[in-house]
Amino acid sequence: MGKHKATVAHEFIKGLWDENPVLISLLGLCPALAVTNSAINGLAMGLATTFVVTSSSIIISSLRKVIPHQVRIASYIVIIATFVTVADRFMAAFYPAISKALGPYVPLIVVNCLILGRQEAFASKNPVGRSLLDALGMGLGFLMVLFTLGTIREILGSGTFLTYQVLGDWFHPWLVMVLPPGAFLALGLLIGLSNWINDQRAKA
Amino acid sequence: MSTSARMIVVLTLIVTISGGVLSSWDSYTAPKIQQHRLVELRTAIADVLPEHDRYDELTLPAQTLYVGRNAAGEPVGIAFIAKGSGFQGVISIMVGVGMDFSGLTGIKVLEQIETPGLGTKIVSDPAHKANPSWFPEQFVGVQTEPEITVIKNRPPAAKTEVQAITGATISSRAVVKIINDALRQAKSDYQSSLKQVS
Amino acid sequence: MKIILIFISAAVVNNFVLTYFLGLCPFVGVSKRLSSAVSMGMAVTFVMTISAAVTWLIYNLLLVPYHIEILEYVSFILVIASLVQLVEMFVRKVSKPLYDALGIYLPLITTNCAILGLALFAVLRHYDFVESLVFGIGAGAGFTLALVIMAGIREELELANVPKYFQGAAITMIIAGSLALAFMGFSGLISI
Repeated sequence: MGKHKATVAHEFIKGLWDENPVLISLLGLCPALAVTNSAINGLAMGLATTFVVTSSSIIISSLRKVIPHQVRIASYIVIIATFVTVADRFMAAFYPAISKALGPYVPLIVVNCLILGRQEAFASKNPVGRSLLDALGMGLGFLMVLFTLGTIREILGSGTFLTYQVLGDWFHPWLVMVLPPGAFLALGLLIGLSNWINDQRAKA
Repeated sequence: MSTSARMIVVLTLIVTISGGVLSSWDSYTAPKIQQHRLVELRTAIADVLPEHDRYDELTLPAQTLYVGRNAAGEPVGIAFIAKGSGFQGVISIMVGVGMDFSGLTGIKVLEQIETPGLGTKIVSDPAHKANPSWFPEQFVGVQTEPEITVIKNRPPAAKTEVQAITGATISSRAVVKIINDALRQAKSDYQSSLKQVS
Repeated sequence: MKIILIFISAAVVNNFVLTYFLGLCPFVGVSKRLSSAVSMGMAVTFVMTISAAVTWLIYNLLLVPYHIEILEYVSFILVIASLVQLVEMFVRKVSKPLYDALGIYLPLITTNCAILGLALFAVLRHYDFVESLVFGIGAGAGFTLALVIMAGIREELELANVPKYFQGAAITMIIAGSLALAFMGFSGLISI
């Protein structure tokens, strides 16, 4: 599709579904699986990633004419790592419980292919406004998937949603859902579901 | 400016600015993070030494002991952090014990990565509606001499016995072993520190 | 003794891919053919071991003495990125066959979260130098193991009748889930 002809709104919307980083491009799978054993963890990781991808995109697209081509990747990862450190310390200082639950997966945002991918594919070639929308859309698309996965896994695996009991005493939690295998299964089913939805939309 | 000179200048600038931003952010957040750690430590000590009003840190070569004192300043118990291997990784536990190291006043699991839903019952057991924290709470008042033992499938008969968690026997045993080992160490450390003073 | 435990723990019990979800991008991308899975596994193990050593040195000889732990992430990722480039140049000079085997995978490794994850875990667990090194080799072996098993299954899968909407990534995830379930059988085998 013609990138430069795309409307401004499209830059934002595409990340939510059509080019969803997790479901379609399979980027950022590591955090999508590792921290989604509860809805709140998925939400926190989604917010942190959105913050990092948006701030890095703003900086990188404003510096796109300054950074020499040969050292662009090195510059990008320094900028990304800086914002990740900011987010990591922010969580540790203000939300210690969540920071503890996410553990080393917060610093691992640095190597989330989603973020570097957006810089290389979009922010380095587009003006600040568009890059900001693109990054926000991608970040929110990522957040949505993480929150959905976290919600499914928490409800089935612990019978709770945001730590409130939603399923009654009759429900025996499916422990496997909060364990690593449950993460893979839930994401596999979610990708299958999104394929089905896309197919239905294409037919309609 | 030649390309390579520009490369070096730009990269150096980015790294320098990044370093500057981060070090100021560090000086803003570090005290808050430190504060959280302190609050966490205090809460844990309060949980395991319910009778204490304040505590002194007793820094020994091998470990730090927290000597709890009541409002009158009399020592009421000692708390210390015990660490060891659980089922999947390190478990660390704040242990509270009377001044003579014979009876536990409480334990609190600080860190663990046991299997969710099974081993994590060492912290809280949601299936046990009446009292989800029955496992750690049963350590209150347990006698430590000659050592704490784990039993299964029957109610505790002696004052040194604690009940294992069904489905998480290894985690239960691990907790008891960590406490037993650390108690022995803490006791000998504390007593040798007393000898040095006197 | 602890060294052996660290190795087994990193390779099977706490497999990087199947329990920590590290290195999933290549796990999904490069697990279609057994031969490329083996090469990728070797490349990752190689870089992991070296970066485990280098990041340990950076952290303990530079960041800690000067109290600049805040620069941990920035310096680790810079070191890993430059290391990958150096390794690529070195391999190209030294051994043509090795370069042909690993060459195209090396640049992909920079954003392989397993490498940075390894460095971060080694710091969190206060490993000493030798332990970090063994941890790197073990994690690399575990990564290779998971990748090779996966590639083996996916080669067979081409003959299977997968439901339309589950072809590709979806079925890969579900297989990975079954593998993770199998690997859970190792949990509790040893713990450190």
